Amino acid sequence: MDLSQITKNQKAHITHIYAQHSLKKRLFSLGLGVGKEVEVVETSLQKNTIKITLGFSAVALRFDEAKLIEVEVA
Amino acid sequence: MKKIVIALVGQPNVGKSHLANAISGSNLKIGNFAGVTVEKATAHLSTEDFSIEFIDLPGLYSLEDFSADEKVTKDFLLTAEYDLILNVLDSTNLERNLMLTTELMELQKKMIIALNMDDEAIKEGIDINADAMSKILSIPCIRVSSKTKTNIDLLVEKILHVNKNPLVAPKMIYSDEVEEQLQTIVKFLDDKHFHATNALTNRQIAVGLLWQKKEMYAYMHEHPLYVELQPILNNALGHVYMYCQCEEIEEVINRQHSAFSTGLCAEVLRVTNAKSKNFTQAIDAVLIHKLFGIPIFIFLMWGLFQLTFSLGEIPMGWIEDSFGWLGDTVGETISNEALKSLIVDGIIAGVGSVIMFLPNIMILFLGIALLETTGYMSRAAFLLDGFFHKFGLHGKSFVPLVTGFGCSVPAYMAARTLKNKKDRLLTMFIIGFMSCGARLPVFVLFSGAFFEEEMAGNVLFGIYITGALLGLIAAKILRVTAFKGEDEPFVMEMPKYRLPSLKLLWFVVYSKSAMYIKKAGTFILLASMLIWFISSYPQNSLIEEEYTTKIEALQAQLDDAASAETVAPNKEATEETKPTEETTAELSAQDSGSLEDTIAALENEKHEKLMENTYLGLMGKVVEPFFAPLGFDWKMGVATISGLAAKEVIVSTLGVLYSLGDEVTEEDNSLREIIASNMNFASAMAFIVFVMIYLPCLAATAVFYKEAESLKYTVYLVLFTFITAWVLAFITYRTLLLFT
Ligand SMILES: Nc1nc2c(ncn2[C@@H]2O[C@H](COP(=O)(O)OP(=O)(O)OP(=O)(O)O)[C@@H](O)[C@H]2O)c(=O)[nH]1
Ligand SMILES: [Mg+2]
Repeated sequence: MDLSQITKNQKAHITHIYAQHSLKKRLFSLGLGVGKEVEVVETSLQKNTIKITLGFSAVALRFDEAKLIEVEVA
Repeated sequence: MKKIVIALVGQPNVGKSHLANAISGSNLKIGNFAGVTVEKATAHLSTEDFSIEFIDLPGLYSLEDFSADEKVTKDFLLTAEYDLILNVLDSTNLERNLMLTTELMELQKKMIIALNMDDEAIKEGIDINADAMSKILSIPCIRVSSKTKTNIDLLVEKILHVNKNPLVAPKMIYSDEVEEQLQTIVKFLDDKHFHATNALTNRQIAVGLLWQKKEMYAYMHEHPLYVELQPILNNALGHVYMYCQCEEIEEVINRQHSAFSTGLCAEVLRVTNAKSKNFTQAIDAVLIHKLFGIPIFIFLMWGLFQLTFSLGEIPMGWIEDSFGWLGDTVGETISNEALKSLIVDGIIAGVGSVIMFLPNIMILFLGIALLETTGYMSRAAFLLDGFFHKFGLHGKSFVPLVTGFGCSVPAYMAARTLKNKKDRLLTMFIIGFMSCGARLPVFVLFSGAFFEEEMAGNVLFGIYITGALLGLIAAKILRVTAFKGEDEPFVMEMPKYRLPSLKLLWFVVYSKSAMYIKKAGTFILLASMLIWFISSYPQNSLIEEEYTTKIEALQAQLDDAASAETVAPNKEATEETKPTEETTAELSAQDSGSLEDTIAALENEKHEKLMENTYLGLMGKVVEPFFAPLGFDWKMGVATISGLAAKEVIVSTLGVLYSLGDEVTEEDNSLREIIASNMNFASAMAFIVFVMIYLPCLAATAVFYKEAESLKYTVYLVLFTFITAWVLAFITYRTLLLFT
């Protein structure tokens, strides 16, 4: 299951990140590491972007990017 | 006096610039989104013995991953001369911030950690044990708040202290397996008595090699020892990959750093009550709501332009009246005609017409400042990303584009936060479509002149929206032609909402206004004088005489008629029929009326003819054919050209030109009315369209050249904007002609 399939207000753990090079690094440095807990808090109308919270910060992602993040519902 | 150079480094939006301001009293730009600072800036602090120079750098998430702004920081850290790193952290987001700290620790530089936003942390029930943290890392850690200025003095003290003493290597510990491999490499280097020429320790080299840093490889490759080193390294890497069960070094590094940060947090961080995020969450539930988010955004923008027009309207009248009064009063005291004209029609009319729009500018900049400081900026980027994406733009392009509503110069620089070069160039190409603050006066003037008072605000909003939409279409066209390429992923941090301090808002508005007034008093003043001069000279005495005689003759006739009328009304009836007494009187009144009109028309014609024969008039004639298809007369053409110097000059030029030609129609003396009576609707709209799109001023174009690092693209920009402006203005003019 990937992050784009998570419904609003659901918590999940990251199990794997399939993104390539620089995107992967960026995700890492924004705190999206393997094992981290994330929660989807908002999705935009046409399912373009989602807002997730993790730890003490919030990050916006496109659905395309969210698809690259494998998660497991907590 | 000793000079100390300090690099302020930290993740974006942690308050580096704010901290630099708090320490030194400087006024670096602050905003509540990632990527406010995009170029290094300096702040100074002098104590009795030291002069400290703070280098405020763009924020970066990690040393690895870089967009153009992050590269500035990375380059500075790796190549510039500085004495110590002041690593600024957001206490309310410690764990993630520590990830960068771990990387900085690998640089083996003197370092101090400022745990910023302590005020917020306390409110959110977050407690960091700074002493314990200092001990664990061997780096002094101090809890500070730039907002409340707590512990700022202590921080400076520590800086001086650390600077004085020799470097204490920070304690960065990796997992046992990695440490073991590092030891092997270090031991090999030590055994070979290897000493790096650039003061790197062998452990640093080992870390650099194991983490596969290109620079380190390049450096070690030069040494013969590398041949023997390589197998050891391969072996070590193999072990590390095996332990971590993953084949990518990035991931290994990330896990090492992340484990270290997590471990450290567990030791020093205590969270008592986690009511923290509620405030931001609650606001976001509305502002980035699925359905309401975008309408709210549009409403807010609409509101801003309504206010810009309607609120700005009030003081605008006063300012215009004061300048009018000033012109009259000063004019009376000067007897020399030429000097009087220079001061009244040149300087006062030119500068006054620009200053008049100061209130509008202030409101616009206040709006932009609110957008920047509250945290709404990244929400808007979030909302618009989907829409932007369809046009080949990136959600993050929103930041430079909005900045472009203020001024194109910082906007071009703000585009640095876009990682992909093509996205960046594309964004830069369409920044010009976002009408900058300097064009605001033109739009306020024209929408006020050609539309009802109640509609003008909407028209203003419409102009900006149209500009933005045209920009999007242009982006799409450029995207499928010139800037083909992969989309950059959209990943962006959303900061929490913060209430900006009134002081900060006031400062932003004040400094923008001061800049505007200064520009009016210097640049615009000179430009107005120049325009006055070239539109007054050379004076053609032939035309002057010719018209004067004509007018005098008519005047005499008029006087005759008037006296004849009073003496013997019937005598007037010399023409064709024999009218009755009543109709005679009527006719004579009509006659003298039309005579007066003719005189006025002649007077106007004289001014026109005179002006057409000045230097400016002659220049106007040259550009006229180019602008004629758009319905511009030569004055509008000249104003457009002069606007290349700075967009405010458009208004001041119109001010001077119409003020010079305005001696006849005294009763409607506001620039707005003069323009309304001198231009037809279709040309005026074409003018707006042209101004909306054509090249931003020369200063901005120079910055574009610097940022794009390409003459080719700069030439494209010039051609692109001019051609688009011309074509669209042409379409506007022709279409409107059909309807009017
Ligand atoms: N409450 C509080 N807010 C702070 C403090 N320091 C900074 N801020 C706010 O945090 C936001 C970011 O501040 P900046 O100084 O622009 O951050 P920066 O690190 O320079 O950001 P970039 O230049 O984008 O890397 C602003 O809204 C500041 O007002 C603090 O100590 N307390
Ligand atoms: Mg900054």
